[in-house]
Amino acid sequence: MSEIEANVIFSIENLNRDYICALDKLDMNKWLACFNKQGTYTLISNENESNGLPIGFMLDDCYERLQDRVTQVVDIQEDSTEHYQTRHMTQLTNITDLGDNKYKADFNFTVFYTQDLIEQTSILGAGRYEDIILVENGKVSFIQRKAVLDTNVLPRYVPYPI
Amino acid sequence: MSQTPENGATLDWPAKYNEVPKEVFEREDLWPLELEKIFYGDEWHPIVHQSEIPNIGDYKAAELGEMPIFAVRGQDNQIRIFQNACTHRGTTLVTKSSGNKTEFECPYHRWLFSPEGDLVGCPNSREFTPDFDKKNFSLPTFRTEEYNGLYFITMSDTVAPLREYLGEEFYEPLGRILGGDGRLKFVGYQKVHYDCNWKAYCDNDGYHAPLLHLAFKMLNWQGGKGVQNVSENGHLSFESELKIPDDITALKDASILDFKGTETSTGSIVQMQFPLTVYSKHMDMLNIRYAFPKGPKGIEVHYAYFTHEDDDDEMIQHRIRQSSNLLGPCGLISMEDASIFSRIDKGNKTPGNAIFQKGVKSEFQLDLQVGQNDESGNLPRWEHYRKLMGFKRAES
Ligand code: FES
Ligand SMILES: [Fe+2]
Repeated sequence: MSEIEANVIFSIENLNRDYICALDKLDMNKWLACFNKQGTYTLISNENESNGLPIGFMLDDCYERLQDRVTQVVDIQEDSTEHYQTRHMTQLTNITDLGDNKYKADFNFTVFYTQDLIEQTSILGAGRYEDIILVENGKVSFIQRKAVLDTNVLPRYVPYPI
Repeated sequence: MSQTPENGATLDWPAKYNEVPKEVFEREDLWPLELEKIFYGDEWHPIVHQSEIPNIGDYKAAELGEMPIFAVRGQDNQIRIFQNACTHRGTTLVTKSSGNKTEFECPYHRWLFSPEGDLVGCPNSREFTPDFDKKNFSLPTFRTEEYNGLYFITMSDTVAPLREYLGEEFYEPLGRILGGDGRLKFVGYQKVHYDCNWKAYCDNDGYHAPLLHLAFKMLNWQGGKGVQNVSENGHLSFESELKIPDDITALKDASILDFKGTETSTGSIVQMQFPLTVYSKHMDMLNIRYAFPKGPKGIEVHYAYFTHEDDDDEMIQHRIRQSSNLLGPCGLISMEDASIFSRIDKGNKTPGNAIFQKGVKSEFQLDLQVGQNDESGNLPRWEHYRKLMGFKRAES
């Protein structure tokens, strides 16, 4: 990562921090604000990803889908869900300069969850983010955030993005 | 192990046909009896679609009850399903959920099996018992039937052939979910663990859909014409028209709900095969839900998704994004079912009976004529379960 400028690393870390804090606070509009108009979000098992199988748990392949993800979480499924508090732990593992102010970044993640009424903490999933990030005019945003889960079998249904 | 499981479990069943004792979801001692009477009994279980293991040597691991099994495509292009245990001392041969192997070698004493299940090598066999013959140590298989590329197994010698077992009203729509001709392409799984007894997972009904799933309401989906067919041995088959409104204001990208295909249904087919497999075709999504109970508590569900070999690129993309976003443990029109599996299981720790109402015309009679939005369609499967388990119904 030595050739990547410090302020770029700083921006990328900031974007990731905004993202995981938005999810841990379940502020879906702040989550949406991490993406630009080309943005996409994917949640997929490593089993599918490594076998070249395209089915995801979530596949928001355009900005309107990202907006609809917010609607789904906030308006459509809120009342039937057994809510849980998440804590996203992440670690930056790589940045590659793609040119044109675009960077490929990889993070590892672990997500802890504490479900209401159970009140004990377990791991929802572990895996890696494969990101494409735009750093432009002091602004930073996701073109792509792809969460690839090592946890091929989810421990419960998952209403919120990871 | 000479010890036989404690199979004398009994349970008093209520006199009324629309009541199910809640303890049936909770009693751990029922599980050994369920294994014997249901999972190892006179039922067929789907294991693999041919498109999940398309190449020679492709294999997929699964379970039947508590028994590890695997399906493999042999050199002769035939699919066979074996017990996943070396015929020497029982070491599992397959340790991944899927993969490709041209031979299956047991690491313990290096016995070697072909993908057709034959024992082809075993070191030091001159020192084995005098009448040792490799031919007697092939991998045990199962009675198997195939329908539109889907392979079913049973441990029963006496259960009716698959078609008769499923019944025509189930068999025909299932064929359409399987693409009409079985020429499917597999595009991936969604796998999830639900924290409930297996019977809570498969007790989903025809009553709830427009009420539980707010997406149906928000999207202004009309309940179209439809039927629910039920059989005495506990299979359910729903088929209903889907009328998707032209202007969906709740979503920014309504294309996710497009219904492009017309070939095999007018909208929606959902089928529930006893004891616990669901098949569905909603809009353009082709889905098999393989389910594996993890003992008396917990069930793992593998939602498998397919496209059709005749699809053009646009249709493939559409099916993939629709399947990934609408169904499964995160899906817009199905996540709520998952929440109910877990909530109903917790709630059923309270005493008494779960009561079915919608569509019940008589509490003391089983009715096979049910409407598409009735929950009474689940009662024949409960009656089938009760009889298999040998539980006595109270006198009315
Ligand atoms: S247990 Fe497999 S070779 Fe001995
Ligand atoms: Fe449902």
